[in-house]
Amino acid sequence: MSRPAMRRAAVCVAACLLAFSARADDDARAWIERMSESLATRNYDGLFTHSTGRQAETMRIVHRVEKGKSLERLVSLDGSGREIVRTREEVHAYLPDRRVVLVEPRGDDGSLLKSLPTPGPTLDRYYRLSVGQKGSRLLGREVRVIDVRPKDIYRYGYRLWLDEVTAMPLQSVVTNGLGDPIEVIRFTQLQMKDKIPSRDIEPTVDATGFQWVRTGRKMAAMPQLPSNGGWRPLRLPPGFRLVASRLQPIPGSPMPAQHLIFSDGIAAISVFIEPGAQTGPRPPETSNMGSANAYSTSVNGHVVTAIGEVPAATVREIANSVVPVQGSAMPADFPASSAR
Amino acid sequence: MTDQIREQLSALLDGELPRDEMDLLMRRLDKDPELRRTFGAYALIGESLRAPGGRIAPPSFAARVSAAIDESPAIVEKASNTRLASPASTARLPQHAALWKRPMVRTALAAGAAATAVLLFRPEATPVAQLEVTPANSFAMSASPTPAQSQRLAGYMVAHSQFSTPMVRRNVLSGLLAADPGITRVSYEMGEAP
Repeated sequence: MSRPAMRRAAVCVAACLLAFSARADDDARAWIERMSESLATRNYDGLFTHSTGRQAETMRIVHRVEKGKSLERLVSLDGSGREIVRTREEVHAYLPDRRVVLVEPRGDDGSLLKSLPTPGPTLDRYYRLSVGQKGSRLLGREVRVIDVRPKDIYRYGYRLWLDEVTAMPLQSVVTNGLGDPIEVIRFTQLQMKDKIPSRDIEPTVDATGFQWVRTGRKMAAMPQLPSNGGWRPLRLPPGFRLVASRLQPIPGSPMPAQHLIFSDGIAAISVFIEPGAQTGPRPPETSNMGSANAYSTSVNGHVVTAIGEVPAATVREIANSVVPVQGSAMPADFPASSAR
Repeated sequence: MTDQIREQLSALLDGELPRDEMDLLMRRLDKDPELRRTFGAYALIGESLRAPGGRIAPPSFAARVSAAIDESPAIVEKASNTRLASPASTARLPQHAALWKRPMVRTALAAGAAATAVLLFRPEATPVAQLEVTPANSFAMSASPTPAQSQRLAGYMVAHSQFSTPMVRRNVLSGLLAADPGITRVSYEMGEAP
């Protein structure tokens, strides 16, 4: 083959590979969008196991769509007896072990899908997306395996076993930067129903005598920073953009916390800035619940907490970069040299 | 609790319970804490039986499995005979079931509760649906959070979940239901995450 012919062949192969890769990204994105839509808009009742390196618990989720709103009850069947109920206006977290009910206004005032973060067209800049072949089975159903692998160390990956017909996730695995699973949710039962009785989405915890703590109040969440200054992280992982900001009242405190929400289309990170205790700065703390990590530290007499479904180092980096600012300077990306 | 209820619980986990019975059982689960605990024991044993791949379970997990076995040996037998009936694991059923019934294994499991970790059974090959689970922060040194810290974090987590995708929100809230967070007071001299 002559040199120009070889060059043309190489260009063709490269173009085909690029086209194939782009189609795989589009297909994976379409599957993820279908999954989100099914989770938000279908009626279902399921039992699943939630496993982390620390423990495994069985839970029940009941989801009902009523007049354009999703109502939901999530309950632990074998542990704390905790229960989370999403009503039309609020989210109630029943914590019987603490005799407390946390009340949070719902963030989605509009249509079912209006306020959902969606995997936008730039998702493939930060994740490698792929769709498995037809033919895999789980729970006696045909499933498609979707892989979402991060391209850098600042976010987690996901492996999803989606029902071929409904796109419901029958199993989902969150993986760390090494590709190791850190959280597995596996359904043992899942019923898609035409109707869900009201009683199935009502709390079963007897909350008599419980303390009801309102952790937030209803207010518009705007994707912009407060005009009178405020706080912001100076550094963010590539692809994370501000999607909402709001003020969050704190029980017992005259000053609200500032709540900033960033998303890359799949993962979200919240940053809370609240006036600090009068006893002086507190030592930094890290914590995690499932695959979510949190990091709190003191900055200028305030407590800054970053929370997200991202590695612990990411929330720590973000919280440590938060400063009080005036004007509209936007945060810079994390150093590109750290990306893999 | 009657044998019939036990059968139903087991069938529920195996996906073999008729729909009308399932709805009734779900309602009973909502109302009966003891039934929930029993169901939890079934699910826990089933999960540990099918969590091979060399998964490292923490002491608390091993202790709960051991306690569940001691509370109701019949559960183990039933769970062993039914829970592993998926196509991927049918071939290993006799071996697993036999292992769980051996006193030596139960003793080893109980002893493991006092050690740092317990290695659960490892099959010859790991099917797609069976995965090791690594602690998200295995480097962290845990401390019990105060009630105020726990409540504050729980509130933040609920607020944060409002802005997640439906799948991630379910993950985050499941983590909140599962347990209190482990909180670590960070000392940078302790070293960074690997």
